[in-house]
Amino acid sequence: MRAFVSFSVLALIVVGLALSLSHVPFGKDRMQVANYYLDHGVADTGATNLVTAVVLNYRALDTLGEVTVLFIASLGLGVFLSWPKKKEGTQEEGKRELPEASLIVRRGSQFLFPLIILFGGYIFLHGHLTPGGGFQGGSVIASAFLLMFLGNNAYRLRHTPLTVTESLAGITFVVVGLIGLGVGGYFLNNFLPKGSMFSLFSAGVIPILYSAIGLKVGAELSGIVANMFESRSER
Amino acid sequence: MIYIAILTVAMLIAGLAAYFFRDLIAAVVACAAVSLIASVLFYLLQAPDVAMAEAAIGAGLTTAIFVIAIRKTGRYEK
Amino acid sequence: MTALWLLFLSLGAAGVALCLARAAAGPTTPDRVVGVDGTVTISIALMVLLSSFFDRQIYMDVALVYAVLGFIGVLAVARYMERGV
Repeated sequence: MRAFVSFSVLALIVVGLALSLSHVPFGKDRMQVANYYLDHGVADTGATNLVTAVVLNYRALDTLGEVTVLFIASLGLGVFLSWPKKKEGTQEEGKRELPEASLIVRRGSQFLFPLIILFGGYIFLHGHLTPGGGFQGGSVIASAFLLMFLGNNAYRLRHTPLTVTESLAGITFVVVGLIGLGVGGYFLNNFLPKGSMFSLFSAGVIPILYSAIGLKVGAELSGIVANMFESRSER
Repeated sequence: MIYIAILTVAMLIAGLAAYFFRDLIAAVVACAAVSLIASVLFYLLQAPDVAMAEAAIGAGLTTAIFVIAIRKTGRYEK
Repeated sequence: MTALWLLFLSLGAAGVALCLARAAAGPTTPDRVVGVDGTVTISIALMVLLSSFFDRQIYMDVALVYAVLGFIGVLAVARYMERGV
């Protein structure tokens, strides 16, 4: 009986999909929006990287939603990992000594840390010119903190600067959007001058927004990594 | 074209291996292989932004977070 | 010139295939880790070659990301093996 019901529901879905897809004309170009972006994107926004033009100019409100989703995920992990545990007598066998990493890993991680941070900053500052952007640069910055945690046992990350950075970056994003609303009439309007193409200070507000996203994502992912590493010893 | 087909099949095999391995560290390594092949595929299909996101997330962060989670629970699947 | 490109790319693809075969066959977990790490290294070289082949030098950033971050996953697994994580 259950198999019959599920099979009939599946058949209904398949027939519905086939009927609705049969109305789509085959072989005709239906991508009018994409063609508009390809033809007018660079002139409209001043960003040479067309993906950035779509993500931060035409669809910037969706990007704000994405950043919010990542923030909620980080918040949930923090709440879950700091949940008070029940005492069940397993505390005695824990707290064993972790072996220190070898000299090459320790010194190498301390040497590479500022270089990786610099590379992440390069990625999100040049998001409107080259491939990459805020999310990618933020992940690279979080990977630098992860490398420090892996290489040095005693490394600790203070959470207050991370929280302040994250909040300031989020506030920057919304404030820039509200200024656009006041100046140009709609949220996240690109109100700054476009500048000349292929230069760093071009494309209006896009570098500001991408820097805010990069700092916010980097702070959130670093907070996730720090939470994971701090909860590891209390098993 | 043939390279893209071969890489897709390799990615499928790596994903199935991540499902079937009993040793969870080996499964995490298979996940890293899936992420690597996906990034190369995005690169071949001329989508460098997505390839860079996949590389930045899959190369270090997911592997390390899975390894810490395994360290807190247990290495072998029952 | 095309024959030279074909030779380069085929050599890289053969290296990727051999490393993935090692990662698939390896009896112990460290074998698999080393196989995947070799795949990462050869893929970086392939990405640089392909960015020159497509004539899009800006694509080299992807290879740079993998070159900078590719070792962190291997480092995490290695620290787990010596019970350091």
